[in-house]
Parts: sequence; structure tokens; C-alpha cells
Amino acid sequence: MDKFSLLQYRALIRREILEHRNLFILAPTFLAPILFMAMVWIANQLDPDDLGSMISYLAMLFNGLSPVEMAPIFMLGGIPFIIVLFSCAIVYLLVTLYQDRKDSSVLFWQSMPVSNLKTVLTKIVTVGAIAPFFYMAVLFGFYLVTVIWLSILGVSHDIEIAGIGYMFMAAVVSLLLLYISAIVATLWLLPSVGWLLLFSAFARRTPLMWAAGVFIMIGFLEDFLFGTQFLANWVESRANPNQYLIMSFGDVFDRIFNYDMLFGIVVGAILIAGAVLMRRFID
Amino acid sequence: MTNIVHARSLQKSYGQFKALDGVDLDIPAGSICGLIGPNGAGKTTTLKALIGLCDVEGELTVAGRDPRVARHKLMEEVCFIADVGILPKWLRVSQVLDYVEGVHRKFDRAKAIQLLSTTEIPSNKRIKELSKGMVTQLHLALVMSIEVQLLVLDEPTLGMDIIYRKEFYDRLLNDFVDGNRTIIISTHQVEEIETLLSHLVFIKRGAIVLDASMAELAEIYTEVLVTPDKRAQADALGPIHVRELLGKKSYTYEAVPKAELKVLGELHTPTVADLFVAKMKDAKHG
Repeated sequence: MDKFSLLQYRALIRREILEHRNLFILAPTFLAPILFMAMVWIANQLDPDDLGSMISYLAMLFNGLSPVEMAPIFMLGGIPFIIVLFSCAIVYLLVTLYQDRKDSSVLFWQSMPVSNLKTVLTKIVTVGAIAPFFYMAVLFGFYLVTVIWLSILGVSHDIEIAGIGYMFMAAVVSLLLLYISAIVATLWLLPSVGWLLLFSAFARRTPLMWAAGVFIMIGFLEDFLFGTQFLANWVESRANPNQYLIMSFGDVFDRIFNYDMLFGIVVGAILIAGAVLMRRFID
Repeated sequence: MTNIVHARSLQKSYGQFKALDGVDLDIPAGSICGLIGPNGAGKTTTLKALIGLCDVEGELTVAGRDPRVARHKLMEEVCFIADVGILPKWLRVSQVLDYVEGVHRKFDRAKAIQLLSTTEIPSNKRIKELSKGMVTQLHLALVMSIEVQLLVLDEPTLGMDIIYRKEFYDRLLNDFVDGNRTIIISTHQVEEIETLLSHLVFIKRGAIVLDASMAELAEIYTEVLVTPDKRAQADALGPIHVRELLGKKSYTYEAVPKAELKVLGELHTPTVADLFVAKMKDAKHG
């Protein structure tokens, strides 16, 4: 692979960001101020003594913790962002290979010297690494404002929650952990990624109906023909966030290098290869 | 002269419908080839097959490559403009330039900007804000700025007014044609491209019914304006098409020596439009 071939990924990723900026940039950008205003509003609704107690509790919680130890508490604040990211990722994977066929722009994209494999891989990188990066960037701003606000609240109640620098470092560590979690989640959920891409490449309309319908039908047939629920159980076993949420850096190796992960990657790769072939043959 | 397109026995079916039914095609490099046919004849399917956007059976080579094996490699040598506004509507003009520059190593951005400067297309507008004519102008400026061997145009001027259509073909001739590069155009507006063409292909119901250079056409096909007293003699020579013209009858012949036809009346080379009608009826009845 020559240098230009690698540089093509930059243009392809830029295309994805531009095309889906609502999902990747606008969604978290709208979410952050809404969440912050909700926190401020709730704080204003509380009795000053109750608010003081809550700040004291927070100070006690953070007392003596290092930024790395504080980080998982900050990660809780990122949960709404993760839920929105997860939802947007599903929407993205369902529409990304479908939309350009629907509006005929696929003829333009395919008239460029870019292989279908490269197109599909770009989409996986986008959902697994680029979209989380934007979410983390917005979350960084959200944490920053929240840390300053908490510090001001602490000062106004004459309570030192934790050093502002400490809280800021804890926020950065939590962002790193969340970002790594997003990448690990993409690998862990690669079968789902591949499944959604497959039907995005296949469906002539309503890819969601196809993706959900075929899955339910296969599960039903398995139960009807063999009396087993292997598929449903396997999918359920992979749905637990504890399997991809990284709460400390020491977890990364164990989460990635295990047979369950490897098996999922193999299944995902087969489904992704199906999406590439579908992209090639559906006209 | 080498052929940039070589196809044998191309087959493509959509369910029961045979879109391509044994297409044989040879298009010489450096030619301007018109692919003409009625609706549903298989023009778009053929063009899509040539650039690897449609899977077909049969033998196919374009610019020395099989489009079915490595479309993305082929697209370094081939550009394509389709009959529908296929540029993504959500992109801005400048973003389209960025994208093509980022993925096509043969794209000359400076040339594209220079070509666009001669149009009224603003670089900050989204594609959806441009008229159909402007979108086609933009697409043409993009492909003109890519150094490729083959340009494939599928009804490129469909829905455009006559000013844009004329401008389109003028630009095509001035900025693309250099004797080495090949253009394949499919269109309904035969009269508009007749003077541009050096090669002509007619397609009917998924099969090629004519594949010849314009020079060969003049040799093979003859139109004769026959006077009433010689009609029996004209009929006996087996015309492929007969039509009434100002009280006289015009007979079109295929591969009949001009010496034999001279005695019937004034000889002409049929226009592409007349030949198209003749061959379509010929194919229909024959």
C-alpha cells in the first residue's frame, strides 16, 4: 500500500464526519449544555442545606483519592454521552451504506478509485474511533465547566471538594478510559457492527426492519428446528457493558486478549466481508 | 488502433428481464463513441458494467482491466457522469473538490478551480442549492480535471436546457478530446452529438444492432430519394427502412453497392437519427 492509498483514509473519514455531523458533532454538542443546565437547575431547586450536605458528601467521596481513583466517579457523568453515542452509532451503521444508494450518490462515490473494502473499513474506524473522539472532546468541555462550577459551589459553601487541578486530572483520566472503552466496545460488538453494516448494504428500504427481522427470524427458526436458543443467549452474553467498559488501564489487556473477544472479531469480520461483497454486488 | 473496451457475450438479467443479451462491443481508444438506444435497451446497464458497477457475465476488458475484479484500480483511468444528479447533495462545492483531491491521485485541483471560474458556481454553496445544469457543470469540471483514458457519460445532459447542453458539449470537445482519450456517451438527443461522434453503437433489447465507425457508416449505409417511377426497382434491392419525405420516398440501404443505388436517385449518407430509426425498426421487424 503506497502513501497516497493511506492518505485516502483522511478524505474518506472527513467525508463521514461531514455527512454525519448531526450524529457525531451536533448530538453531543446539544447534549452537553442541556445536561449542565439540568444540573444547575436541580442545584437551584435544592434547599441550601441539602445542597451543602451533597457537596460535603462529594468532598468526603473524593477525600484522599488520586485522580486515577477519582476517574471512575467522573465516568458516571459521561453515561448520558455514552448512551447517545451508542444510539447514534446504531443509526449510523444502519444508514451509512444505505443512504447513498437511496439518493443515487453511490454512483459518484463508486466512480472514485476507492475500493469497497476501504469504504467499509473507514466506516468502522469512524464509528469506533472518530465518533468517540468527538464525544470525548465535547465531554472534556462539559467536565471542565462542571469542575469549575463544583469548585465555585464548594467555595460558596465553604467546603473544599478536592483540588480543582486534581478534579481536572481525574476528568482527563476518565475521558481516556471512556475513549479506550469505546474502542474495546467496537471490537467486542464487532458482530453487531458487521450485522448492521450487512443490512445497510443490502436493504432497498428500512434497513432497521431487515436487520431486526432477519435476526428474530433466525432465532425463531433455531428454536423451532433445534429447540435451542444459542443465538439469543450468545447475543445476550455479549450485551453486558462490564465486558467492554474499562475502569482502569490495567483492564485493557484482559478485555482485548481473550477467546470470547477473538471469536467475536472473527464473526464480525465475516459479516463485514459480507457487507463489502453486498456493496459490490447490489446494483 | 487498440480497443479500450472489448466485450464478448455480456449477459445480465434482472429476474426474468434480460437487460443484456449477449452484448459484443469493441470501442477503439481515442474515439468518441455514441451508445444509442431506446428506453430500457440496456444502455445504462452496459455503461455500469464497463465501470464495474454492475455485475455481468461474459468477457469484458476496459482499459486493459476487468472491471469486475478491481473497480477501484480501473477508476484511476476512467471517469463517469450518470444521468441523475449523483453528486451528494449535502456537500459544498469546495468540499467536493477536497474529497476528489483526497482520493484521486490524478486530480488537478488548480485546473478544476480554473474551469469552475468560468461558470457561475459559487464554491461555498451546497450541491442541493445548485440547478441541475450547474451540478452537471460541476461534475464535468471535476472529471475534466482528472487525467484519465476514458470518460463514460450516461445521458449527461438530461433535463438541461439547450444553453447548458451546448456549453457542455463545447467544453467536452475543447477540454477533454485530444485524440488519445476516449469518450462513451449514451443519450437520447442523437442530433446534438452526431457531429461529435467518431464511432457509433446502437443497442436494442440488450443486444448490439450496430457497431461501426462513422467512416464505415458512410460506406455501409446509403439513403436514396427515390422517384415514383423507380420504387419497384428500389423495393427489390431490400431497403432496411422506407419513409415518406415531401411527396417522395426515402429508402435506406445497408451494404448495397452505391453503383447499384445511383440509378434510383440522389444518394445521401443517412443522419444518425434516421439510421437509428431505421435500425430500431429493422431490429424490431427482423
